[in-house]
Amino acid sequence: MGASQPLLETRNLKKYFNTAAGKLHAVDDISVRIMRRETLGVVGESGCGKSTLGRTILRLIEPTDGAILFKGEDITRLKAAGMREMRMRMQIIFQDPYSSINPRMSVSEIIAEYMLFHKMYRTRAEAWNRTAQLMNTVGLARRLANAYPHELDGGRRQRIGIARALSMNPEFIVCDEPVSALDVSIQAQILNLLLELQREFGLTYLFITHDLSVVKHISDEIMVMYLGQCVEQAPADELFANPRHPYTKALLSAIPVPDISMRDREIVTIRGEVKSPINPGIGCRFAGRCEYALDRCLQADVPLVGLSEKHLCACVRAGEV
Amino acid sequence: MAETLLEVKDLAVKYKTDLETVFAVNGISFSLNKGETLGIVGETGAGKTTTALTILRLLPERVGVVGKGQVLFEGEDLLALPEHDMMKKRGDKISMIFQDPMTSLNPVHTIGGQIAEALRLHNEKNRTREQLEARVDEVLEMVGIPPSRKGDYPHQFSGGMKQRVVIAMALACEPDLLIADEPTTALDVTIQAQVLLLMRELRDRLQTAMILITHDLGVVAQMCDRVAVMYAGELVEKGTLADIFTGARHHPYTQGLFGSIPKLEDESKTLLHPIDGLMPDPTDLPEGCRFLPRCPHACEKCKEKQEDIALSPTHTARCHMLERKV
Repeated sequence: MGASQPLLETRNLKKYFNTAAGKLHAVDDISVRIMRRETLGVVGESGCGKSTLGRTILRLIEPTDGAILFKGEDITRLKAAGMREMRMRMQIIFQDPYSSINPRMSVSEIIAEYMLFHKMYRTRAEAWNRTAQLMNTVGLARRLANAYPHELDGGRRQRIGIARALSMNPEFIVCDEPVSALDVSIQAQILNLLLELQREFGLTYLFITHDLSVVKHISDEIMVMYLGQCVEQAPADELFANPRHPYTKALLSAIPVPDISMRDREIVTIRGEVKSPINPGIGCRFAGRCEYALDRCLQADVPLVGLSEKHLCACVRAGEV
Repeated sequence: MAETLLEVKDLAVKYKTDLETVFAVNGISFSLNKGETLGIVGETGAGKTTTALTILRLLPERVGVVGKGQVLFEGEDLLALPEHDMMKKRGDKISMIFQDPMTSLNPVHTIGGQIAEALRLHNEKNRTREQLEARVDEVLEMVGIPPSRKGDYPHQFSGGMKQRVVIAMALACEPDLLIADEPTTALDVTIQAQVLLLMRELRDRLQTAMILITHDLGVVAQMCDRVAVMYAGELVEKGTLADIFTGARHHPYTQGLFGSIPKLEDESKTLLHPIDGLMPDPTDLPEGCRFLPRCPHACEKCKEKQEDIALSPTHTARCHMLERKV
């Protein structure tokens, strides 16, 4: 395969949670391919399963069914020791920089923790040197090495999380809403940092967010999720220029654009709210809110079909909508 | 000339504790005409919410102290009113929508009961119980909730529906001024679009003046007539929507704010132009211009106290560099 082999691939990945009311379909049949040095953006509203997808790919949550291939190797078959090795190559940056770092450890201890755990360096001194280097890479001042997280603001804490993920020299990073808790000016600093790191170290990202302007900004390809399923996937510019699924269209039209000439444009608001992901039944899950819905939308599951080589859409009326 | 509804003059608020004093709002002035919407934009800690709480006199007791200034509502200084008179205004003439609909509703009362409470407390027309109930149905219908659900409790509603309930409560008495503090920040985009559309319709129908507090410039562009940009307790730039969004000259912070947002028309994977550094510590603000440590154009003159510079009759910015004719 060579150059065309994706760094990470999922095949029919499923994660169902058992609840008292029935099976909750958090991730339902997701197949993605992410090429080296590229970013796949995953967007969707709360509860669509995007964070579960990210965590399932790292096996922080065990998948119910399906395969996860990292450089062609199925990691769902790995045993604990093998997975521990694998996690050095696959890292995650969490959404909330307040709860994802240990408040009782200093900045340098947090960053060095994984390296010491995995015994990456022969001496502790080497690990501390590497920590200092990482702090430099992510833009944390050296004087903060002995500070504790509560002394720092959200942006700096997020930099700690990024440095900790980079300490493993990973090839693949799941970024789970890394900028959602931050103010715009700080958000821009962190987005730039992630883009620069990607260029410098050849990183591959799965970037999870609910913010459509952020996802357009950072991704090569974008996947739109609705109730555990992928409803549309396309290259970033193509998706924004030519959305085909009614849900994607509504999502894009709902973004408040900071441009006053757009003030009076018509907003396609979608009726109602997301239905429960518990026992969703057959048919299109968006049909209840969709203005284009037909009877046949509910009679059978709607497959994801290719409109062009890179543009996939799960809608029976994708051609006409 | 439009009639002035609210005028805030040189308002300063600090939070005093035994350990430190936080200078949250430092001498801000603005006015709002009847039926107009003012957007206050800024980042966390800029003093936006403190401003709103001061207007409603809801600052935490003893800790929140108004240092100076006046809040004139229909010509009357709210800060000088006895608490009893202020209670009559709150909810009736001025009401507020808080950011988080999950915590601003009482979980042990039905939503109908909570809407009726405001009506009962401000019952000048001496409406009977039946008339009050009819009014509750009316406002629920107005925000798109079937009145049959008024006996339900907050936990039975989704986030977007709860925010509609909060809006219904705020508008039940048809206030002259509505303060909305990040009303859609906790909501998903499609629900945000529904709520914003609803707020816009109701505002236009009831002719309510509104102060919309947000960090989202997109929301401002869609909702507001005038905009004030707040930074470290000061209004660094004020103007009409067009002044701020399309005007040629801006305060460097406003420029930074616009440079920080990812734009949809940009190609993907281009770098943004963020503002370096962080907001100053509000317990220890820099002398002169508060933006000085982060400003790319900083010079000696920035260390002096800054005055508002008029860029046009409607547009001012607090930066001495704009004094020069360009």
